[in-house]
Parts: sequence; structure tokens; C-alpha cells
Amino acid sequence: MIGTFGNSSLIIALLLNFYLLFSYSLNFFKKKNNFQKVRYLNFLVTVFVFLAFILLLWSFAISDFSNTAVYQNSHSQKPLFYKISGSWGNHEGSMVLFILILAIFSSLFSFSGVRDNLKYLTIFFQNILILFFLIFLIFTSNPFDVIRPTPAEGLGLNPILQDPLLSIHPPFLYVGYVGFSIIFSFALAGLYLEEFTKLWSKQASLWIVIAWTFLTVGIGLGSIWAYYELGWGGFWFWDPVENASLVPWLASTALLHSNITSMKTEKFFSWTALLAILTFTTSLLGTFLVRSGILNSVHAFANDPDRGLYILAVIMIISFFAFLIFILKFPKSPMPNVLIFWSRGSFILINNCFMIFFLVVVMVGTLYPIFLDALFEKSISVGPNYYNALLAPFVIVLLWFMAHGPLLEWYKFNKQSLIKAILQISFLTLVSSIIIFFYLKDFSLLLFLGVFFSIYLIIAVIIDVFKQKIISKNLARNISHFGFGILVFSIFINAYLSKEINVPIKVGQTIKQNAIEIQFKNILKSQGKNFEEIIGNFLIKDGTRAFELSPSLRKYLQPVQVTSETSIKSTLFGDYYLAINLSEFEGDKIMIRFYHKPLMLWIWISISLIIFGGLIRIFRKQNES
Amino acid sequence: MIKKVLFILFFSLLATKFSFGNDELKNKIYKNLRCIVCQGQNVYESNSDFAVDLKKLVEKKLSNGETEQQIYDYLTSRYGEWIVMTPKLNASNAMLWVIPVGIFLIGLIIISKIIRKSKINS
Repeated sequence: MIGTFGNSSLIIALLLNFYLLFSYSLNFFKKKNNFQKVRYLNFLVTVFVFLAFILLLWSFAISDFSNTAVYQNSHSQKPLFYKISGSWGNHEGSMVLFILILAIFSSLFSFSGVRDNLKYLTIFFQNILILFFLIFLIFTSNPFDVIRPTPAEGLGLNPILQDPLLSIHPPFLYVGYVGFSIIFSFALAGLYLEEFTKLWSKQASLWIVIAWTFLTVGIGLGSIWAYYELGWGGFWFWDPVENASLVPWLASTALLHSNITSMKTEKFFSWTALLAILTFTTSLLGTFLVRSGILNSVHAFANDPDRGLYILAVIMIISFFAFLIFILKFPKSPMPNVLIFWSRGSFILINNCFMIFFLVVVMVGTLYPIFLDALFEKSISVGPNYYNALLAPFVIVLLWFMAHGPLLEWYKFNKQSLIKAILQISFLTLVSSIIIFFYLKDFSLLLFLGVFFSIYLIIAVIIDVFKQKIISKNLARNISHFGFGILVFSIFINAYLSKEINVPIKVGQTIKQNAIEIQFKNILKSQGKNFEEIIGNFLIKDGTRAFELSPSLRKYLQPVQVTSETSIKSTLFGDYYLAINLSEFEGDKIMIRFYHKPLMLWIWISISLIIFGGLIRIFRKQNES
Repeated sequence: MIKKVLFILFFSLLATKFSFGNDELKNKIYKNLRCIVCQGQNVYESNSDFAVDLKKLVEKKLSNGETEQQIYDYLTSRYGEWIVMTPKLNASNAMLWVIPVGIFLIGLIIISKIIRKSKINS
């Protein structure tokens, strides 16, 4: 019953979408400027997709197992929260969410202050995207497929996905990915109407920051989840799914900055337009490559090569036409595309060069093994060492440019003030670094450079803040850059100074290693709503500090799966992290993994600062000076 | 103090190889081996029979005095390059480094053109 309504609303949305495209085209060819109809149809499409989405949520909430998607991904004994979040934890449901966000952005955009012609061409392009994905949804991944006879019970959701953070992170990630669609459509409309100008940059900037902020939140939540749920003490594994979210983030970070340059100097519009197209196409590529089954990942959804083929074809078509418009309507900047080296504009271009480099590293690392396999039947693995070794030196250099870019002006160059700034920052940084390494008692060249240049950036930002007459000026940028400095600092310290202990231990036993003492006190049993749990209580001592950690093993019943739950004590200086190994038992002993992860909390704080910068930019209409 | 730091700096430039304790080396190797029967996991993270066997093998080889590289070579000859998570520097993998660095250099050349043009104009 719900299925029929759901299906109908999707088909009505598709028909309305057709009608919108038709009605706009008619307008366009008759050169009429009456967009009222398009405006209403646009809202209606959103309403019906929203209705379908709500009906799908409803099916999951009441565990309607006549629905194939519900049957395959849910279970009646699951907590309601996970029943609902399970609706976008699978391919079909997440596609509905994807289209819903496309439509919502389209509707929101109709409220923007953009000139009518430009606005409705954007909405037209956006609805072409909606058309492609609605067809894909209805004909290859229908979320309202019916199963007969109705099964009595569902197959359940993978327990490691039953987690509050994981449940809410896909919507953020999707608002990010799909948010770039409106910038993509707006860019194509701007190019087509030859209105890719300063005004375009100004009007696009808010949308760019919105999508970018959501994407950052999504990536942040995903890595916090990976940190405590996967149980290996890491927060970033260079897994293809993680990489798929990082690529659009890098592209959009480049876009965010180049758009500022275009807005301020009226230069490099072609580059900004290219990045706007690239950001959304990489979002699409990432979202769907993950589902096509050609990538080997822990996170991948159930795969189906047919779907993969359709979607890759759609991405090809979309990108082809986007680049065609770009080439045919290549935007000319009103000002000549030239810069003096010591200017903010050229430093932003250098930032872009780094971002593209990072993007290419991540893409090549993820895709090259696939090509090698397809062309030469040669299998290789590209793991974390590749990324870390190639990226780290470049990140360090980027930090220097990032520190000085904002201190430079757009047009003028004052040599004295640059030299003064370099000396001032270098001196303060050197003093701080020496103090830090005095306490760390550990040294390697790369660690030193990473720490030195991240502090360099942090100090440069602080100096910049105090130089402003009003602290709140450029606050968004300063907070985000400050956060990035702390992020790199914490990642370097964390990567080099993490410690781990892997030992078998039995109840009552105490293990000592260096300053750490682990005492296994007792075992408790407990019962959750849909799992049984065995909890181990441990007393940890680190010098004078003593506290308890209680990692556990959970046995989920539907589907039967055992998971290991970590127990973490966070402090400002570092996390103490304990987990029980799943299946390695030696007699009456269990294997435990203990990690000391320095500055872990600061990684999350710094990501929050970066996000906070984005939020300030969204809610406070302030301009870069 | 500065002397000390300079000394450490100098020393670390010379020391290209890090010394690892036995446990650290073991974990480093585990983390660098793919669990080939799993979905995107390394041997360190996996509890599959394959991973457990491989861990025992690595431990045995280490206690026999074999080096990290010898262990990788042995496993590569048996399971293929796929098993080691760090790609080898060889001709067919060269593109992994050439493409990104090449694009970075092209970017720098473009930027330098933009800046040189501006000198002529001004």
C-alpha cells in the first residue's frame, strides 16, 4: 500500500519534472520571460520527492517487509532510530535522499537574488540532473519494489552501521556532495548566458560555502566514527570510500579560494568555472564509483555492475555537456589574467595548485590499481604509506603559503612588511618549536618540519587577527586557517608519537609496559535491545593518572555478527584507547589492543574550528577585505 | 639548547632508517600487508584465518632473522604484488608518482607564465 503511494509520487515527480523542462524550453525558444510556471513546478517536484522520501522512512519505521529495500536492510527488533536511519543506509534509499537534496537546492535557489533569466536557466539545468537520477532511481533502483509473499522478518542491518554518528553522517555528506550540484548548474547557466562575472562569484560564494561546510561536517563525523567503531586507533585509512569524499572536498576548497580571487580581482573566471564543474563531477564520480563494485572497500554498499554502468554513462554525459558548454562559452575575464608574485591572488593560485595536486594524488592512488588490473592484469595495492609519503612534504610547503597569503595584499606589495612578518613569525615559531621538542623528547626531520610549519601558520593567523582593527574582520577565514594549522600539527604529532600495546591478558592479571599499567579487573555480561554484550573492566595507570576502561564484545542477533566495541578516555594531551580482539583467544587469556593517541581530541577540535569558520561565513555576510 | 636541537637535526638527517622495537616492526609489517581474503582490510586489522596464519608466518620469519624486505619479497613471490600495501617503485607503477608531480609542475609553469606576463605588462 505504502509502496504504491511511494511509487506514484516518484512517477508524479518525474512527470512534473518533464513538464518543467518542456515548459522552460518553450519559454526559452519563444524568448518569453514568464517563469512563474517553472517556479511552481520546481516546488511541486520537490514536494513529491519529499513525499516519496517520507513514505520510505515510514516503511522502514513500521518495518514493512513487503518492501524489498526494507526487507533487505532492516529488522523488526532494531531500535527505531536505526530503523529510520537504515532507510538511507542502502543504495535505493540513499538515492532518494540524493534526489531530494537536488530538488531542495533547486527550490532554495529560486529564492536567491539572482536575475530571473540566470536563475531559471540554473533551475532548468538542475532539473535535468533530477531527470537523470529520477529515471535511474525508478528503473534500476526502485526503493518501493514489492516482495511477494511478504516475508515475516527482515535480514537486518550490518551492526557496525548501527551507530548514532554513522547514521547521521550520510545526510551531511550528501548535502555537501549534492550541494555542489547547484553551483554546477549555476556555473553552466552563467557560462551559457555569458554572465560569468564578478556578480556570479558574489552570488555563488554563499552556496559554495554551504556545501563545503556540510561536506566537511560529513567527513569529520565519518572519521570520528571510523576512529571509535573500527577499533584500530586510526581515523583515516585511505579507504576508497574515504578518498571518494576527500576528492570533492579538495576540489571545493580550491573553488572556494579561486572564487574569492575572481570576485576581488575580476580575473581567472575560466579557472573558477572549471573548478565549479570539476567539484560536482568528482562528487558524482566518488558517490557512484563506490557503488559500481570496481573498488575494494570495507564501506561499499551491495554492488550491482548494471547500475554502475548506467550511472557511469550518466556521469560521462553530464560531464561531456558541461565541458562542451565550458569550451564553447569560454569565459573571458574583464581584467587581464596576470598577477604580481607577492600578492594574495597569486598565493591563492598556488594554493589551488597544491589542492589539485592532492586531488590527483588521491585519485591516482585510488584509480590507478584498477587501470593496471584492467589493462595489464597486474594487481597492486596502494595503501596509506603511498599517500602519507607523497602528501606530507607538500602539505608542509603549503602551510607556508597559507600563512603568508592572507598577509599579502591583492595589488600592492610592501617588501619591508613581508620581511618583517617572516622574521617575526619565524622567530616566534622557532621558540615554540624548541619548547615543544624539548617536551616531546622525540625527533625526526619530517616531524620537525610538520610541527614547525603548522605552528608557523598558527602564529601567522594570530598575528593577522591582532593586526585587524576589529577582531571580527575576516573571522571566518582566520578561524578556519587556525583550525587547519592545529589539524596538521595534531596529525603529525599523532602519527609519530602514537604508542600501542598488543598483549594477551587474563582476569586479575596486570601488565606493565614503560609508564603504562593495565589491570584486567573483571568481566560482566549485559543485554542490549538487539545484542548480547560481554564487558571487560580494566584499570589503566599512566604515571599518576588512573582510570577505568571498559571495552566489550557484542553479539548481534540479526544478522548474527560479533563486533568489538572500544573504550576511550580522552584527555587534552591524548586518548587512551582500549579494545578486545575478536577471535584470538589463548587459553583463558584474551588479546587486547591498547593505544595511546596523542592530541586526538585536538584533531576533532580543529575540524570543528574549520567548520565553525564556514558557519560564520554563512551566517554573517562579511567580505574579504 | 639550540646546539642540542641542531645536533639532533643533523643526526636525524644522517639516520635514514628508523630503529623499531620487535613489536613495532611486527605491527608495521602487519599493517603493510593486505588481507587478501577480506574486503579492504590489512592483516593487522583482520581476524580471518588467512590473516592469523600470515601473522604467525611473519613472526616466525622475523625470529629467523629475516629482514622486513625479505619478508615482503617472499610474500610477493607467493601472492603477487597485491599483498604489499605500499606500491613498489618500478616501471609499471611509475605513473603513481609521475602523474601527480607532473600536474603539479604544469600548474607551477602556468602560474609562472601568469606572473611573468604581468611583469611585461607593468
